[in-house]
Amino acid sequence: MSFREKSDWLSFISLCLLGVYFFEVGRGIWAGVRPGGPYYYFTLFWVLVVTLIGIQVVTHIVLTVRAPQDAKTPVDERERLIRFRATQPAYFVLVVGAFLSIGTMHMGVNTWQFAHCILLVIWIAEVLRFGMRLFYYRRAV
Amino acid sequence: MTDAHPPTPITNAIRRLRFEHGELTQQALAERIGVTRQTVNAIEQGKYSPSLEVAFRIAAVFGQPLEAVFQYQPRV
Repeated sequence: MSFREKSDWLSFISLCLLGVYFFEVGRGIWAGVRPGGPYYYFTLFWVLVVTLIGIQVVTHIVLTVRAPQDAKTPVDERERLIRFRATQPAYFVLVVGAFLSIGTMHMGVNTWQFAHCILLVIWIAEVLRFGMRLFYYRRAV
Repeated sequence: MTDAHPPTPITNAIRRLRFEHGELTQQALAERIGVTRQTVNAIEQGKYSPSLEVAFRIAAVFGQPLEAVFQYQPRV
């Protein structure tokens, strides 16, 4: 497995863990309450983001130290093709999701919920992008 | 040569040529043509058709004309 595939696995897993936040927000909206006090979501979001950035930085340093030559290898044409192919469906989801989010404004959602719709769409698109990259890496292209 | 039903219509003789050149490793070939070892592996297995530039670089490493390394076998 190449350095960049390992890197993509780390990004994918980190992004999936960020799903905890959206699960909690969804749970709160469904129940009609904000559990854990007024700063619960704010705290949860930033704790998750900082933790995941920390995990990514540390694991990438470990990967680089273990295989420095692999990490230095520039992105080649197959990897560029993989990135291009993976971005296409993710961008589609992002655009459709953005329009659907705009649509929620006519459903009486507040600013906080609207912001989370946009965040959720970005998150889904990113999970899809990294998921598709891994799919193409596993398939060789 | 790749297997009988390759994913792309391009087959190649990279494995044989690597053997004939002192069992040149995929990693060594990858470094000489400027791609990753995984890409060489994908090309060798017929899962990925390289660009013309990379194909020429591979042929140059083995000192062979392009058609001696890559063959086009259209699907019928």
